[in-house]
Amino acid sequence: MGSTAIVVEDLTKRYGDLVAVDRVSFTVDEGEVFALLGPNGAGKTTTVEMLECLRTPTSGNAYLKGFSIRDPSSVREIKRLIGVLPQEFNAVDNLTVHENVELAAAAKGAKNVREVLEQLGLWELRKRTFSKLSGGLKRRVGIAMALVGDPEIVFLDEPTTGLDPEARRETWLYVKQLKKSGVTVVITTHYMEEAERLSDRVAIIVRGRIAVMGEVRRLVVEYGGKTKLVFEELDGRAESLLRERGYELEVAPDGRTVVKVERHQEIYEVLSALRSLSLDVYPEIRQAGLEEVFLRVIGSRLSERGELV
Amino acid sequence: MTTTPTLVKLLFKSWMRSKVSLFFGFLFPVMLLLVFGSIFGGPSPPNYTLYVRNLDVDQHGTPGVLSEAFVRALNGSVFEVRLLKPGDPTPRGTGFAAVRVLTIPRGFTDNLLNTTMLNRIDVTTDTITSIIRMAGERIPEQTRDQIEASMEGLQTFKRFIVAEGVQITLEGSPDDRLLQPIEGIINVIASKFELGLLNASSAIEIRTVHAQVRQLRSVDYYLPGYIAAFIMTNGLIGVSSLVSDMHRRGVIKLLASTPVSKATWITSLIVVQTLASLLLTAVMVAVGWLVFRIVAIPDLYSLAVILLGTLAFTGFGVLIGGTVKEAEAVTALGNSISFPMMFLSGAFWPLELMPGFLQAAARYMPLYYFHVALRETLVAGSPETALFPALLVAALAVVGVTSAVLMTKWRDF
Repeated sequence: MGSTAIVVEDLTKRYGDLVAVDRVSFTVDEGEVFALLGPNGAGKTTTVEMLECLRTPTSGNAYLKGFSIRDPSSVREIKRLIGVLPQEFNAVDNLTVHENVELAAAAKGAKNVREVLEQLGLWELRKRTFSKLSGGLKRRVGIAMALVGDPEIVFLDEPTTGLDPEARRETWLYVKQLKKSGVTVVITTHYMEEAERLSDRVAIIVRGRIAVMGEVRRLVVEYGGKTKLVFEELDGRAESLLRERGYELEVAPDGRTVVKVERHQEIYEVLSALRSLSLDVYPEIRQAGLEEVFLRVIGSRLSERGELV
Repeated sequence: MTTTPTLVKLLFKSWMRSKVSLFFGFLFPVMLLLVFGSIFGGPSPPNYTLYVRNLDVDQHGTPGVLSEAFVRALNGSVFEVRLLKPGDPTPRGTGFAAVRVLTIPRGFTDNLLNTTMLNRIDVTTDTITSIIRMAGERIPEQTRDQIEASMEGLQTFKRFIVAEGVQITLEGSPDDRLLQPIEGIINVIASKFELGLLNASSAIEIRTVHAQVRQLRSVDYYLPGYIAAFIMTNGLIGVSSLVSDMHRRGVIKLLASTPVSKATWITSLIVVQTLASLLLTAVMVAVGWLVFRIVAIPDLYSLAVILLGTLAFTGFGVLIGGTVKEAEAVTALGNSISFPMMFLSGAFWPLELMPGFLQAAARYMPLYYFHVALRETLVAGSPETALFPALLVAALAVVGVTSAVLMTKWRDF
């Protein structure tokens, strides 16, 4: 990672008595993919829209490449630096793919429409009317509109919400391409898997506050808990042996036996011990992820629709 | 790539590809012009239908000489005479077609003939009496005696003539606003008919000359009215819906996150609407000339009025679309402002046809001044009379565009 692309300092947004964003601070390095993960209404969009100079903070400040979002003379410079895919974005229905990207290019004074369309595999579809595209292609056009003009920082606000799993994975590919090209990406999402797969660092935001933030792997190690080996059936001998060797065992609600391990090496040790009893068993391995981190830190799960459950 | 021309090009393409914009922006006003122009705006004078029931017939149904001649005289005037037989019932009115029935009484020919004879005798004796009085002693005594004897003979003959008054009946609805003028026309025809029977002629003649000031036909009235009305709806309904839709899609948010300014965005919308207004005007003027031979070539004055109207209503359209949150509310507001103005401002029909209080109300509607200014410049060719309404439209344009610029949010949506 190189120098810092974004610095956010105590950013706050109030609407009357409602505190939408409460003293949020973080930094994003150049070329990093940073995810804001949280339920609907957590303040993710408000935070990025303040960074996009689309909302005025109540207090605090943020700097994009050193330009303050509160300094009116810097706003135009910031807008030259960024590319934005707004939440639930839908381009103009009766314009073609090319014309929609041309619209964004005209607004940014950019000329690389063809390059972006080719990069995102849209060149062949350039004459297709936007309204006739599939959901995944529509979102790709939105990303093209954000990327035209070679922005240094790209904000993708819930880029895969409402897409089917295939279109979602396809969109992830383009975000990964962005990361490879060295663009700084800030992504908001309520999908754990999305944040886990795409981001270098993640901030879990709930009720306007960042609850926890850091590299995904580090968060999983710190908050995710142990890896679980789930066995269909283990006899008394096997359970005694594993307990003797210091492993923690518990019975899952569905009756299966769960053995908890801390390190990957221990998985082999457990299986080896069971084989010494001539038990040839194959457990389901459940590794901890952001879902466990979220559950541990927030005390709730996130539904598919982004609600706290 | 220059920002404003590209934005204008793309927004204009989008506008032209929208079926709703095409229909309400071009097809609907053309349809209205064709339909209303054909129905109410034709160049021929009104030809009033008049039912005539002639009771002056003999036992074979043959009409009397004078009643037949009178019917011919009526038919040769503005009336389209439809004859009813003596026993036929009065026809029923359908729709807006008023029914007027003129009944010629039994004995019309005899009574008119006898009355004419009495009149002629009176005229003759009056004339001779006047001549004798004026000539005085220059008429010899003997001649004077002979003349007086003849006049007594005429008076004796007059006593043998039986003449009742001739009364024809005009029957019509009290709601028929043309009934009174029609009675007047029939009176004139009857008087001329009587003069003809007396072998006299009217000393007063009417000579019709065509004045320089042109009386507008209905279709001449409709053309600028429809152009103005649909420039207004394109702004208040079309632009507001477009802006609202762009908000809903996130397109405005995306544009606002770029260096493009709010002023550039609003300017682009105004340029697109100006192009649409000019295109609408060109289409309407062409259709008006091809179908109704309306000669209305836009000059600098009328183009200036079109520009001012477009600025005014596009400004308010941007204002509504940018400040009202819900798409349904935007449409409802645009419609609720536009429709009363379309129908009550006199754009669709002359104000004189409306009751007094509505005529007064029309003068509070911006569209009234827009269509009046456009009519005065485009059709009447009178920029002097268009000045006051055009100035009001200009003031409205300033208010509309200023409000749009001030109230449109480019952040904190």
